[in-house]
Amino acid sequence: MKKVVKIGVSLFAMTALWASGAYCAGGPEPAAPAKAKTIKELVARYDSSRCMECHEEAHEQWDNSLHSHSILGTPRTAPTIITAIDKGLKLFPYSGVKEDKDITVESLMFCAKCHLPQLDEATDDVAREIVATIRGWQKASKEGNEDLADELEEKIASLNIGCMVCHNKMAIIHKWADGYAQPDTVYGSQDGDHDDEKFPKMAKAPALGESIFCGQCHGLGPNFELDEPSQCATAYGSYLYAYVAHGGSDSCQECHMHKSGLGHDMQAYNDETMIKMALDVKVEARSLFWRKNKEEGVIPKGIIKVDLYNKTGHVIPDG
Amino acid sequence: MGRGPYEKSGLLAETSLPPMKHVHERFEIPYPFKDGKKQRELINDELVVSVKLWYVPFGEFDGYEVIFFEEEKKIDLKTEWIWR
Ligand code: HEC
Ligand code: HEC
Ligand code: HEC
Ligand code: HEC
Ligand code: HEC
Repeated sequence: MKKVVKIGVSLFAMTALWASGAYCAGGPEPAAPAKAKTIKELVARYDSSRCMECHEEAHEQWDNSLHSHSILGTPRTAPTIITAIDKGLKLFPYSGVKEDKDITVESLMFCAKCHLPQLDEATDDVAREIVATIRGWQKASKEGNEDLADELEEKIASLNIGCMVCHNKMAIIHKWADGYAQPDTVYGSQDGDHDDEKFPKMAKAPALGESIFCGQCHGLGPNFELDEPSQCATAYGSYLYAYVAHGGSDSCQECHMHKSGLGHDMQAYNDETMIKMALDVKVEARSLFWRKNKEEGVIPKGIIKVDLYNKTGHVIPDG
Repeated sequence: MGRGPYEKSGLLAETSLPPMKHVHERFEIPYPFKDGKKQRELINDELVVSVKLWYVPFGEFDGYEVIFFEEEKKIDLKTEWIWR
């Protein structure tokens, strides 16, 4: 018993050492930026198009991924947010939301935590503008007003998980150990100067290439830290407990960005390459007579045996 | 994705495929037959079985479904069963 405890302690010490010995990527917590007052302001702050001229390939790939329209979705996400408001928030007696005008950033955070984490840098007016825009889009689509529907859809799609959400806002996970992301820095795998005017520095984010980075949004289970825990994606939980725990060793990035060859176009069931990487399926078929019982006699039948093997790093489908 | 959190809540049946594990499905399809006085006769002694695996993101065949696997198998049962 004594021995077991000792091993535990020394392992813990190793982790602590590793963390404090890591690169000095971040810095002290910067002052919170002024709150964005409109969708337009929030979108401008996280605009990915400025990165396009120098990172053309990454931008093109990202543009095709669901990260580039993470509130619109396939487009199932935006309508589901409305359902969560109408059938959830407004019916909960203690949510404080009876009508759309009562919606705040906090009320939308049970989705935005992962679908639009930068919403915490906006005013409650922006939260209400998002809801009004989605409702307007749904109405215009229903009424066949295509020009307006397209315009509003574009506005919804401009709310996204862009370059600076991953390469700045979410880049550093252990902020006490590694520091807070600095407002003038892009985080990647190297330190130095960066050619962009607005972000003249680049620095290492120790965990950007690790699964935990994706895990920030891809879910462990219920979001218990919220007053009203929501649950959506749970792929990271499945990855940890069903894949790594059973000997799996690839990271999310290894499969989704490298082996797939898709880079920033992180894809799943909508992509041929990912479908091919997903499963091994074997089918065996034979015929037999089956002596069932006296009454029904012998039944001639075909027996088809299917063996499915999931080669990914988590259950499929996700939640 | 798309079914909502329900299947992962521990309250409803979870039918997803776990990673690094074989899952076996078995299907039994009777050959069509008719019964004579003494003998059971197959109306058709060949079956063409089509095995398809669909990914159904929102739980319905609503245009979002994607095919993951498809294979056709021909099987036959040429011998007759005779009670002795
Ligand atoms: C004027 C050109 C230019 C612009 C604009 C630009 N970058 Fe860069 N960026 C570079 C160059 C050059 C490098 C260094 C590439 C290298 O050495 O591999 C770099 C490196 C990076 C890295 C580190 C890559 C690594 O190897 O880890 C990241 C992350 C990055 N840029 C993100 C961005 C983002 C996000 C934007 C938009 C906000 C942006 N860049 C805008 C030129 C630019
Ligand atoms: C823990 C982070 C997280 C939270 C919180 C969250 N989601 Fe998600 N959601 C994701 C991720 C990641 C995906 C994509 C994963 C996948 O496809 O398996 C996703 C996918 C979806 C999809 C399917 C996407 C599509 O385009 O078809 C819908 C719909 C959705 N979320 C709605 C919501 C709503 C509504 C809320 C709030 C009630 C919410 N989510 C809260 C992370 C989250
Ligand atoms: C969902 C998160 C995410 C988004 C969004 C994202 N990146 Fe990345 N990016 C990563 C990760 C993770 C890596 C490191 C991959 C690895 O482990 O090799 C990376 C690597 C990079 C690199 C260095 C390696 C390379 O591919 O050249 C550059 C440059 C880069 N990203 C630029 C961008 C730009 C520009 C955008 C916006 C168009 C963007 N990224 C959007 C997660 C993201
Ligand atoms: C800031 C939160 C966030 C981070 C970080 C993030 N994702 Fe996502 N990801 C999402 C959301 C939200 C969606 C779904 C958008 C939608 O459809 O509504 C998504 C969608 C996806 C999809 C497409 C799923 C589908 O159903 O087609 C894949 C694959 C994916 N992410 C992989 C990754 C990987 C790999 C990483 C790490 C390199 C990562 N993501 C990092 C939030 C995130
Ligand atoms: C061993 C390779 C592998 C690893 C590791 C892996 N994935 Fe996947 N992932 C895949 C493949 C292949 C698919 C396509 C199958 C599918 O969409 O169901 C997929 C599908 C997905 C989906 C869509 C799930 C759905 O409902 O269809 C998401 C989201 C995702 N991965 C995120 C992640 C995240 C986040 C990690 C790390 C925590 C990760 N993946 C690790 C191979 C991998």
